Amino acid sequence: MQRAIEATGVPTIGITLQREITRRVRTPRALYLRYPFGHPMGEAFAVSQQRTILVDALRALETLTVPGQIVEPGYRWKRHRFA
Amino acid sequence: MSWGGDLGNRVAVQLFRRLPWLGEVWARRRRVVESHSVPWAPMRRPVCESVIGLVTTAGVHLRTDPPFDMTDPDGDPGVRVVPVDAPRSEVRITHKYYDHAAADRDLNVVVPVDRLRELQAAGDVGGVAPRIYSFMGHIDGRHLRTLMESTAPDVARRLGADGADAVVLTPA
Repeated sequence: MQRAIEATGVPTIGITLQREITRRVRTPRALYLRYPFGHPMGEAFAVSQQRTILVDALRALETLTVPGQIVEPGYRWKRHRFA
Repeated sequence: MSWGGDLGNRVAVQLFRRLPWLGEVWARRRRVVESHSVPWAPMRRPVCESVIGLVTTAGVHLRTDPPFDMTDPDGDPGVRVVPVDAPRSEVRITHKYYDHAAADRDLNVVVPVDRLRELQAAGDVGGVAPRIYSFMGHIDGRHLRTLMESTAPDVARRLGADGADAVVLTPA
């Protein structure tokens, strides 16, 4: 999906919870979180957590220059304290 | 997963939710369409001037639209379109391969609609594309071809028509 969108000229960032699959499929840009399935933006009603992840993803759109790169902010599930 | 049966599936869903590393183990064994080249479209303008589109594979759909087909083991290769500002009471998630209890309570767990609107209000994002394009993921077998040759290019074109300058994709 991500590759199809990119092929039409629209840049994409994919949040992924499965680093190995993302590596093998080779998406253009990805942000990997070691979070459980079903929680790509974090926990319910955790506004600052969700916002931080979204901002990280949007920043990656601007900063990544190498196709296939995966950003890893390294937040620990339910342990990281988001400002 | 080959455990079979609805109970086996429910147990697996809970295990995957509680043990994040299980996902990596599963991923190593899963068959995927591997690629060597990577398509690349450069950003044309900064994010603060860009309209951002949202695409998800979390099985989100309007209450009034047909739910994703959960009976076909190869999945449902179709797309559901959800207006980005649809009332939350009109939005449903049909997906039995992940635990969407948190996403049922707060859609932003899988599709960051409110967070994106807030960033737009703060001037950090240029705009929000009018529609969310939603899939169920877990597409396999004969449906893979439908997805890759028909649905995906169609959605890519529609995102362009919606004015999206960049797209954020979220899995389940």
